[in-house]
Amino acid sequence: MQTIKLKVKEEVTSGDARIPVEVDSLTPDKLAGKTEAEIKAVKVWWGNREENTGDLFDVSVEGDAGSAEEVKILLEGDLSRVKHIGEGMKAGEIEAIGDVDMHCGAMMTGGKITVRGNADCWAGREMRGGELIIEGDAGANLCSMYRGETTGMTGGRVTVGGNADECAGQYMAGGEIVIRGNAEMLAGLNMHGGKITIEGDAVMPGADMTSGEITVKGKVLDMMPSFKYDGTESIEGEEYKKYIGDLAMTAKKAKGVLYVK
Amino acid sequence: MVESELLIKNGVVYDPINGVKGEKKDICIRDGKVVSEVRNPKVIDAGGRVVMPGGVDIHSHIAGGKVNSGRLFRPEDGRRGLEARTNVCRAQSGYSVPNTFATGYRYAKMGYTFVMEAAMPPIAARHTHEEIVDIPILDNAALPLIDNNWMTMDYVKSGDIDLLAAYVAWIIKATKGYGVKIVNPGGTEAWAWAKNCDLNDAVPYFDVTPAEIIKCLGEANEKFEMPHSIHVHTNMLGHPGNFEITKATYDLVKGLKPSKDRQVIHTTHTQFHSYGGTNWGDFVSKADAIADYINKNDHATIDIGSVILGDTTTMTADGPMEYSLHQITGRKWTNHDVELETGSGITPFLYSGKVSVHTIQWAIGQELALLVKDPWKIALTTDHPNAGPFIGYPILISMLMSKKRREESAADMHAAIYKRAVLPSIDREYDLNEIAIITRGMTAKALGLHEHGKGHLGVGADGDVAIYDMSPEERDAGKIQKAFLNTKYTIKSGEIVVKDGEIVATPDGKTYFVTPECDDTLTEEMLTKLKDKFEHYYSVTFNNYPVQDAYVPNPYEIKAPMRAN
Repeated sequence: MQTIKLKVKEEVTSGDARIPVEVDSLTPDKLAGKTEAEIKAVKVWWGNREENTGDLFDVSVEGDAGSAEEVKILLEGDLSRVKHIGEGMKAGEIEAIGDVDMHCGAMMTGGKITVRGNADCWAGREMRGGELIIEGDAGANLCSMYRGETTGMTGGRVTVGGNADECAGQYMAGGEIVIRGNAEMLAGLNMHGGKITIEGDAVMPGADMTSGEITVKGKVLDMMPSFKYDGTESIEGEEYKKYIGDLAMTAKKAKGVLYVK
Repeated sequence: MVESELLIKNGVVYDPINGVKGEKKDICIRDGKVVSEVRNPKVIDAGGRVVMPGGVDIHSHIAGGKVNSGRLFRPEDGRRGLEARTNVCRAQSGYSVPNTFATGYRYAKMGYTFVMEAAMPPIAARHTHEEIVDIPILDNAALPLIDNNWMTMDYVKSGDIDLLAAYVAWIIKATKGYGVKIVNPGGTEAWAWAKNCDLNDAVPYFDVTPAEIIKCLGEANEKFEMPHSIHVHTNMLGHPGNFEITKATYDLVKGLKPSKDRQVIHTTHTQFHSYGGTNWGDFVSKADAIADYINKNDHATIDIGSVILGDTTTMTADGPMEYSLHQITGRKWTNHDVELETGSGITPFLYSGKVSVHTIQWAIGQELALLVKDPWKIALTTDHPNAGPFIGYPILISMLMSKKRREESAADMHAAIYKRAVLPSIDREYDLNEIAIITRGMTAKALGLHEHGKGHLGVGADGDVAIYDMSPEERDAGKIQKAFLNTKYTIKSGEIVVKDGEIVATPDGKTYFVTPECDDTLTEEMLTKLKDKFEHYYSVTFNNYPVQDAYVPNPYEIKAPMRAN
């Protein structure tokens, strides 16, 4: 087992401009087998400049790893301007202590990311596999597609401890999202696969969905009028109303299921 | 670095306009032009490789409002062609709608040095020219859309061909355009009334037919010594059974006498207009019927608009067609009305070799190229990006040169290709001379650019040369495709712009525009009516309309005198 500690240097995010750092080059699979000196030399973008990891982060390495699965990256310091954490990661583990910036866990295919704080927009964008845990709130477009694409998350599991902003799971095609708090407008927009569970309230969930499943345990505000009531069902001992939609996508295509308590 | 003298040695040269068919021949360039000898040149050893004049694309959508809208509304396409800035190149994006920089670099890497922007809405000419300025390396020109224009239809209705000619001359000058572009004549105006037009349907309100518009514009064009004929996107694009309309369109101008030694009509992306059947269920290729017409007649030329399989962005001034396509696919769509002039639509499209209709479409473009016997009547295009991005040209070249490659591709595609297309039965294979014709010789001639140094390597021609990294004996389709995608060298006006498949210099291209010289009395009479239109209907004033010289910083003017009656 190996732990790579990366602590953002104070001067990196302290200026007025708060220039973001992009760290998609710092994933367990990309760092596995590297020495501390080699990790310090890995390039990361800081605004429009490519810098050495060692110039922006305090780096320390403990233990050894035979493969990416045995690597854990611990991110510390002010991460609120650190973007693309774990983007595209295939294996291993990342733990980020604090709030993180956009695109955390985007396009990841495996491994595990834990954010001990809030995650900004696009967390889990186009996620293909692995696990993403956000202990705080998630920004907009959680697990959605890239702008213009028609496939969002296809696999993996995401848990949000707090609330999720607009369009969580947009164009989702597979995988699972659990939101412990509330979901803002249009969770599961254009969804065509996968499963979203919202333990709190949701606003206009499932608009334009053609497949997949959304369960809302709290209240639904502004229920889409284009969903058809289809009786009740019992899930884990509790009774839910079942709706089929979204009929706005034509009756033939409307195969989405929305459970509301 | 710009060398004042270049000598390209040991190349096997294909220069069809000058009758050079694969001869070992030196090419000398001084101060950007081909000369007969040089004294102290920088020498490039072509080492037995294939050498051709710079490629000339007769029809492509690379600049202007709808191209830019296509980029804006397809961020997902943008991310498919990302390339970071280098010391030489600016940042690139896009696959089917590449940004301006990528457009210049990728064409240059394929050995092209001239590209015709095929649809410029006149009122958006400034935007088009601004984007053209941002496209590196390539020489260029743009064809203004003149056919759905209220002024045009008014004159067609009144039958005043001379006044129509005066208007055509004025708008080509005002837009710094190159010739007369016709796109679904009448149909785009009808689309403003939620309709479309067949060849002999009356255009709502104007009460003229597309046939009359085409005929009158053909006549108006020939009133001047225009380098190019009318350039026509015929009616009912993409509708099964439209091949009859296409043939009838050729017949409209059959008796017309050209003002120069060239065709009187060029129909573009003819693949989309060679469809048989009555619906998508009985849809069949009629490429053989169109090719047969072209073989028997000499007044028409075509470009193929061949399909490249995969995802692309369709965009055209043919608004109703884009709406139909959007209705079929359900994918996003945008639509635009351009005041008194034209309109446009954009929607993404995926051509799949597993779908029968797409497979037949894919076959038709290549069938046209293979069934038209005289390559001087046919040009290689994909109607970029409508049937596929220009970056697919090398695929098409390898298909035309290899029956084996066509057979292998067909075997992976929908079986409809064996029943409802003729491609599998065609044995013909293009040779390099014919490829040179359909990618530079014919296109330069059909555009009249051969008289201005394009498309050939005779003394006095522009020093635009492509050296492909292949021997003339190469028969492997994969290697041919690779060679045509990235040149060993591309030389533009005597400057090396591509070396070993990489961009090494990015000079500015020239913009070619035509000045038809119309009789003053006619112009005055026409202007009275035109100024009235501006006063009542346009969103800009007459005086603010014409494109100023500043928008064309590297101009190349071609004068087109009026012919005596």
